[in-house]
Amino acid sequence: MFKKVLLSISKSLGRQSQPSAPATRKPLARPPADTSAAAPARTTAPAQNQTAEDLLGIDAKMGKEQIRDHLKLLYRRYNRAASSLDHAVRSEADSMLDAIVAVREKHFGEI
Amino acid sequence: MMVEYVGIDLGTTLSGLAYLKPDGNPEIVPNSDGERLTPSVVYFDAHEDIKLVGAAARDGGDPDRTVFQIKRHMDDPEYLVTMDGREWTPSEISALILAKLKRDCSKIVGDITEVVITVPANFNELARKSTIAAAEMAGLKVRRLVNEPTAAAVYYAHSQGVQGRILVFDLGGGTLDTTILEVDGDNIRILTSEGARHLGGSNFDDLLLAAYDEQYQKQVKAPLYNDERQRRRALQASEDAKKMLSKLQRVSDTVGNDASGLARIDLSRETFENLIRRMMTRAVMLVEQALDSAMLKVGDIEHVVLVGGSTRIPKVRQMLEKHFGTPPKTCGNVDECVALGAALFARKSGRISEVCNQSYGTLAMVYNAATGEEKVQNSIVIPKNTPIPCSCTQMYVTSEDNERVIEVDVTQGEDSDPRFVDVIGRITLEVPPNRPKGCEVTVTFSYDENQRVRALVVDKQSGRSREVALTYKGAGVLSDDELQRRGSYLKAMRIE
Repeated sequence: MFKKVLLSISKSLGRQSQPSAPATRKPLARPPADTSAAAPARTTAPAQNQTAEDLLGIDAKMGKEQIRDHLKLLYRRYNRAASSLDHAVRSEADSMLDAIVAVREKHFGEI
Repeated sequence: MMVEYVGIDLGTTLSGLAYLKPDGNPEIVPNSDGERLTPSVVYFDAHEDIKLVGAAARDGGDPDRTVFQIKRHMDDPEYLVTMDGREWTPSEISALILAKLKRDCSKIVGDITEVVITVPANFNELARKSTIAAAEMAGLKVRRLVNEPTAAAVYYAHSQGVQGRILVFDLGGGTLDTTILEVDGDNIRILTSEGARHLGGSNFDDLLLAAYDEQYQKQVKAPLYNDERQRRRALQASEDAKKMLSKLQRVSDTVGNDASGLARIDLSRETFENLIRRMMTRAVMLVEQALDSAMLKVGDIEHVVLVGGSTRIPKVRQMLEKHFGTPPKTCGNVDECVALGAALFARKSGRISEVCNQSYGTLAMVYNAATGEEKVQNSIVIPKNTPIPCSCTQMYVTSEDNERVIEVDVTQGEDSDPRFVDVIGRITLEVPPNRPKGCEVTVTFSYDENQRVRALVVDKQSGRSREVALTYKGAGVLSDDELQRRGSYLKAMRIE
């Protein structure tokens, strides 16, 4: 059974003892550490020597179908992020979409 | 004389207006310049108090005084265009385009007061509100907003009798929208809509321009353009080449500037297809996303229909044929079918059931009693693809002892990870003191036919509640008073 506790951005930031985020315009919460096991994709700019696979959290042990499903998940995420109200997120989304396409072409061929 | 059923496609690069004739067929209405489609470009003249809209704006003026593709910014609450010391919101720029359509087309078909306007499927709440605001400032009442692929499907059903389960592939100047719907006679049921911004013909033009510049620099050892006016001219040349490459395998062009001279550029269709290959891959992934959203397979789609000028690119058709195993359908003039469909929709709207194009929720710490796991999540209240209008409720509990103000952030987006959703509003509700944490709160979101969100928060223990219609705040968002004032100002403007 799941219990859901309301946690607005300002209250989650308050828990982290940081100044409250303004109510408008800052779209992304910075909540306590996300323990999600899904989608290891990042929201920071890619490091220079990272491959596209590294960026997307794809390792050599993943099978083709696993890679396909993972790319689909990431595509859904970053395609949506390309419409984000946050300019930094939009910018990062473009980089990630490029990486997604590159990895897809590598593993499944070009269109 | 007043015309009853009018549809407007307010496009990123081209806009069109259609009306429903007495025989029940839609017809495009040309503007005063004789064009069936009006370029969505606005030029602010420096010497006369006049705004040019359309081809004259696109082709003639100082590019620093010209606004292109304003639709791309309709969802940005902070975006403003500054011209001669005055700031213009995206809504106002769009209002100028709509005002030109209204004024010009009214001379042919009669007074236009109420319209259906189309928007991309992935337009968020703010972009939709901005579109409605633009129409109001232009003196138009919005009967309905309809998604562009929906309007196109209505037109295909009407003109070609396309029935069954259909995928609409709408690749225009600025965005790609994919909608899957079921058409059964006059009844249309939308199953899902997916969209990708910055994936359209103008993006292909930019890629081609970069290729032009590369070839030019190899020959002339200087950049192809040195200022915005030169860039616009070169961009127009690349767009013309793109269109030619839809008919020919090779094109040659001479481009250049006064400072560095001319150079001949040769381009093959194969080179162009290679340039846009990655964008085409994104397009295919969007199609796959739509199929997944609707829980369908490729074989479940009976027809694929094409919408938008960019679907004239042969590679687009080949790609879809390869993916679906059947050639896609085209209506001939793929630029106009959205406006034509919007005019049909104006009369048929009662027989179309649409879905929520985004998920709406709130932020919550979710505790899994079975595993002991806890994490902050975007907790979805209205899932994407819920038929609209709709109203959904979720139960939450308060987070703190003696919490005096309940705060509910309203999120937009499907992702469970809060980093990847937008917070589009907040509701606060004052509650009595001295209560322990864990008090129950119900959050109800309602979503209307024009895809606008209302939120209701009810504290069960005290019975207190608050309901709001979500509003955006930002430099580019006009208040109701400002909307009225600017609308009056616009009505007095000279727009050609």
